[in-house]
Amino acid sequence: MTSSLFADAKEMVVEQFAYRALLVQMIKRDLLLRYKQTVMGFGWAVFMPLLNTAIFSVIFIRVAKIDTPVAYPLYAYCGFWAWNFFASSLRFSVTSLTSNSNLVQKVYFPREIFPFSMVVTCLVDFAVGAIVLIGLMIWYGVPITANLAWLPAVVVVNIVFTAAIAMLLSMGNLFYRDVKYLFEIVITVWMFATSVVYPVDQVGGALGAVLAGQPMSAIIDAYRATLLYGQAPTPAFFVAALTSGVLFALAWLVFHRSEFKFAERI
Amino acid sequence: MVAVTFDNVSKKFARGLPPDSLRDLIPSLVKRGLQRRRTEALTDNEFWALRDVSFEVEQGKALGIIGPNGAGKSTVLKLLTRILKPTIGRCVVRGRTGALIEIAAGFHPDLTGRENVFLQGAIMGMKPREIQQRFSEIIDFSGISAFIDTPVKRYSSGMGARLGFAIAAHLNPQVLIIDEVLGVGDMAFQQKCIDRMNDFKRQGVAIVFVSHNLEAVSNLCDSTLYLKSSVVAQGDTVEVLRQYVSSQAKGTSTTSIDEAEIRDVSLSDGSGRAISSVAPGTPLEFRATCAIHRDVREAHFGFLVHRSTDNLVVYGGHFHASELGFEGLRAGQVLRLAFQFQPHLTRGQYHIECYVHDDVGGAHLACLSPAAIFGVNETRSCSGIADLEVQAMAQALDVAMRPVVSLVR
Repeated sequence: MTSSLFADAKEMVVEQFAYRALLVQMIKRDLLLRYKQTVMGFGWAVFMPLLNTAIFSVIFIRVAKIDTPVAYPLYAYCGFWAWNFFASSLRFSVTSLTSNSNLVQKVYFPREIFPFSMVVTCLVDFAVGAIVLIGLMIWYGVPITANLAWLPAVVVVNIVFTAAIAMLLSMGNLFYRDVKYLFEIVITVWMFATSVVYPVDQVGGALGAVLAGQPMSAIIDAYRATLLYGQAPTPAFFVAALTSGVLFALAWLVFHRSEFKFAERI
Repeated sequence: MVAVTFDNVSKKFARGLPPDSLRDLIPSLVKRGLQRRRTEALTDNEFWALRDVSFEVEQGKALGIIGPNGAGKSTVLKLLTRILKPTIGRCVVRGRTGALIEIAAGFHPDLTGRENVFLQGAIMGMKPREIQQRFSEIIDFSGISAFIDTPVKRYSSGMGARLGFAIAAHLNPQVLIIDEVLGVGDMAFQQKCIDRMNDFKRQGVAIVFVSHNLEAVSNLCDSTLYLKSSVVAQGDTVEVLRQYVSSQAKGTSTTSIDEAEIRDVSLSDGSGRAISSVAPGTPLEFRATCAIHRDVREAHFGFLVHRSTDNLVVYGGHFHASELGFEGLRAGQVLRLAFQFQPHLTRGQYHIECYVHDDVGGAHLACLSPAAIFGVNETRSCSGIADLEVQAMAQALDVAMRPVVSLVR
């Protein structure tokens, strides 16, 4: 059992490495397609988080005033920026296998490439979105501290967690098309259960603790801590990091072991 | 060295749809948990797409796979390319594999030809540097350089296929798996593809070739597998094609008994023996009995020879009843027909079609095809249809004159 586990793990990594040129080409393809025949191009990558920030700023500054450690627009934009990377990676990944059924049925290569390339493609949007965040940070005069060094770790954990869920969703949707509908509901609920537009710990009680402790809240709070508050990530982040790592390994293994059924079941 | 091994492979498929939504998942999981079925057993919903198929392909050899639609040919290829896993048995491919299964599968319609070359190349396992190096060769081969920066969605289907094959033709595979790709492209391009595959073979690439184009199979493949879920015949291409063609031909015999009937057909050589395979030019006689059931004022008999692998008419002749001494045919007449001919043909499988035609009404009274089948054996030719009885000669013109060397057929 354990030996076959190691053999599988080795095969997964070796194959992924052997097909790295294809991963690059798929990312290029998705990036080219993303904004082909659009006028705004990468402008779309910042437009949505900015619009959302504006809407929630009106609500939470003028209607229902809430306390945030930094100016609310900065707080909200940082949340949307990180959340959008997560949510749009998943949104594209859900259908990444089913919309490429031609390739899945006709050519062999590691199927992880589909969700992975979607995550990396969204990472480019994430990088573009960062420019606006830097602009806002300068505008609000956020000081830079040594704790900024934590940022790469936060980004890595965010990617690993996203990729894990992306694999599970793309595979789930291949077998059961219910997944893409279920996903839309879950992702909406999940956003309000995460510290995107308001600090979820203010919910209070056991529920507040759970919401603040779940991986996405921990990750987004860690972004804010290192970027905006000049603090080190909280212990919840390290729990999230561990969870992400384990989830990623499990998701990849399950994905790899189901791969051979994809062509038959798509 | 053996490059491809297919060892007692069976593959099971579900006939209907597996549960597709979560609502159906739970009952099916419970069912699966309760009855741990063995792989050998079939449920109501399942069938064997392949059963106990074994073959090997060595380097520099080509294996053809033929069979009717739904015989499992594409399943074999998908097993070879690892898209599917065998239910039972073992399937091993050694070395870098190039697959030409629907050559434009990886093309994205919104990307340009150039962008698609890099994408498709990567899908087929080429390194970006290799693609870069061979890019101009690929474009030259495809013959669509003028449209290389046009999105593929604006290509004609022929253009897409040409570009797809051009990329595949510049792979550097050790094993090449080809599924019916010659149906596309014009004749010149098809010839280019066949030439390219022969080049691969000479370079020691092992080829598995699935096609309904039996001529292409007989030109390319050293051995052939006739598949119909299980193996029907396997071995020497000429022999397997003969079996396939004769089994396929049985289904196409048409004869209308209402107006006339062609029966008691036979094909024999000069000595009167029934034959199945002859040397080119051997005198043959085809005999048939023709019973006429209604009056016909003017009629002719048709005698055609088809090459069975592609149905090409290698000979078609009309013989008017009046030329044969009959002014019109009457109901109740029974005629003995004989056609003597010499098949100056290259090696292959041929069949005879025989009919009676009403020249006034413009319709066949009866038609029988294949009325008889025969093979021609010779080893000289490498392609072509007609055996022109070519003799080759060579003579050295240097000082020490050597005798005339003649190479006779």
